[in-house]
Amino acid sequence: MKFRAKGVIGLAAVAALSLAACSSGDGGGGDKSPSGSEKPSEPITMKFQSLSDQPGAIAATEEIVAAWNKENPDTQVEIVPAGWDGVYDKLVTQFTGGAAPDIIHYETASIIPFAEDGYIADLSDYLSDDVKKDIDQGIWDSVTVNDEIIAVPTELQSYMVFANKGILDEAGVEIPTGDTMAWDELRAIAKATTTDSTFGLGWGLKSPTATFMSLGLGFDGTYFEGTGPDAQIKIGAGELEVPKRIGEMAFDDKSIDPVSLTQSGSEVLASFYAGNVALTVQGSFQGANMAKDAPADLDWIALPPLAGTVSAAQSANPQTLSVNIDSEYVEQAAEFVNFFAGGENMAKLNLADALIPASNSARESIATETKGADGWDQILASGQHLTSAPFLFATSYSQWKDTVATPAFQKFLAQQIDLDALGKELEAGWEQVNR
Amino acid sequence: MSATVTAPSAHQIRPDRKQVKDTKTMFYRLLQYISLAFYLIFLGFPLLWLISASFKSSAELNSLTVSLIPQDFHLGNFPDAFEKQGLISSAGNSLFVALLTTLLVILISLPGAYALARFKGKIRAFGTGWILVSQVFPVILIIIPLFMILKTVGLVDNLWGLVLVYTTYTMPFALWMLQGYVASIPVDLEEAGAIDGASRLKVLITIVFPLLKPGLIATAMFSFVSAWNEFFFALVLIQSPENYTLPITLKMFVGGEGKVALGPLAAGAVLATIPSVIFFAVLQRKLAGGMLAGAVKG
Repeated sequence: MKFRAKGVIGLAAVAALSLAACSSGDGGGGDKSPSGSEKPSEPITMKFQSLSDQPGAIAATEEIVAAWNKENPDTQVEIVPAGWDGVYDKLVTQFTGGAAPDIIHYETASIIPFAEDGYIADLSDYLSDDVKKDIDQGIWDSVTVNDEIIAVPTELQSYMVFANKGILDEAGVEIPTGDTMAWDELRAIAKATTTDSTFGLGWGLKSPTATFMSLGLGFDGTYFEGTGPDAQIKIGAGELEVPKRIGEMAFDDKSIDPVSLTQSGSEVLASFYAGNVALTVQGSFQGANMAKDAPADLDWIALPPLAGTVSAAQSANPQTLSVNIDSEYVEQAAEFVNFFAGGENMAKLNLADALIPASNSARESIATETKGADGWDQILASGQHLTSAPFLFATSYSQWKDTVATPAFQKFLAQQIDLDALGKELEAGWEQVNR
Repeated sequence: MSATVTAPSAHQIRPDRKQVKDTKTMFYRLLQYISLAFYLIFLGFPLLWLISASFKSSAELNSLTVSLIPQDFHLGNFPDAFEKQGLISSAGNSLFVALLTTLLVILISLPGAYALARFKGKIRAFGTGWILVSQVFPVILIIIPLFMILKTVGLVDNLWGLVLVYTTYTMPFALWMLQGYVASIPVDLEEAGAIDGASRLKVLITIVFPLLKPGLIATAMFSFVSAWNEFFFALVLIQSPENYTLPITLKMFVGGEGKVALGPLAAGAVLATIPSVIFFAVLQRKLAGGMLAGAVKG
């Protein structure tokens, strides 16, 4: 028996999708002129895509938005919560499809490509003097693209050294008390606290690129020169100093737990809590987790910011608030951003998120409130050294980071390649990626 | 002098052979049970570990002490997961989307698969080829045009829109899967039915569909799981928290800077597995039944 198929249901839909790939949307960048600078005659509602993820930070965000909405009945803000995972792809689609929210919470490194593509409004003329003055120039530089301020920085994190004071005391180590701590001091402490049962340092370097490049600034290791598609890679002694020093500690001194080199920062915390490592380098926000999760008998402290031979600089990759250039209410959205970035609001949010405020007034407010407890004294001190990093402005940085730098650094940490080969791989990979 | 060898009688041989056979059978059966037990432990361990993690406090999850039984059963993860992130409503959305997708996929792909399997010619070759080609499109390539199409018809941030997308995206593979089942049913059976005077519809209903039941069940399971677990389309197409599906809500537990709320995430994941387990438990019995039915009739 033979039957004739009249068609294959479903293929039409797939074909429609494929054909639609050729179509173009009406949204998106290119038009740099801010629209919607006129006052609306009727109450408006602006969408604010927030990435706040900690319960405290979510509550703080809601509180700030509620306060705005109460003060501004004609320009209401509606929070649209979103997760960090996949948000880049979500924004790409939203911008291309002309459906992006009015106010966007993100981070510098990821929002810059959108600004370069013309999707983000220039906030230079909208920002209040209070907000402008309250944030250091180095941090403003990190959100300035082609002389346009494309976002307001809100909170940042730095890499901090946390120590088990009990182990340090037992080893007779003098706790560093200066404004900063030299890498040599870190090495000496790690060596002094390494025993048969304890490693001096546990450092989660599963994804090492951000750490190496951020701390490299302390040795004048900028990795890149120039911006945008013209950025050129520069691998010299300064750029390779951090991997070199970590390599020496791990393989010559054997004072770094080798397992930790393959773990994430959070995974290393378990070893730190168990007293298996004396020191651990972590994102500053982990101070809040330690306050919550560390065993009651663990006397942990935060050590002064790590300083290279040039400075204690680390890269500022702040979380940010930007305004969609295609929003109907750019001016109103910018006003909200000004309000949100006020010192009091930032202190509230940063305290909940355990991150470093971008603004000086919020930092002072947190210092007063916490009195330096739970490592806040050193965490806030490290915030003073955060500055703009050239690699954030190299167009293909993100691709190079994932496909070239991270595997190359991992190979170095696994002793598959030496320092020279690492430098060559980083350079050759950039040439490949940035063709 | 020659020795007289008396051959053992058949009566003497039989018990020995039977005994050996029984011992062998018992040994193989024991081996099977042991293997099966290991396999079950292997399969079930992640689920057990997940359940265990959902009852551990943050401090215990961050300690080096590893134990399957939580030190002190911490119940706070469940309220955290359910109340603060709206997990129940997300589970409802996921269930709605997954069940509807499954239904649509089966309804649409059944006649398509039958036609593909039985129709011989260039259209069939083109059809099957196109199904395979459609599977190689990366999601990221189609998401923007898809977003625009759905925006035009007002189906962005809409669960019905998601159902439409999942149905479209799942169907090629479901079609491919189902046409294989149809092809395995001998045409002779249908021809025999036709010779006996049954109409084409009756042949389909009384002969083909009962034999196709295992295929339909397997396809339904595949469609359900695809829609239940799908993350990327939902992430991009759904904007309002009240329309979030479960994978989106679960991902909210993974924050920036490497922050992960492990306990609430585990609690949420436990909830997320329950509907799938129930769905599989119900359909798996029918799958086994359908296979037997097919075996006898085939």
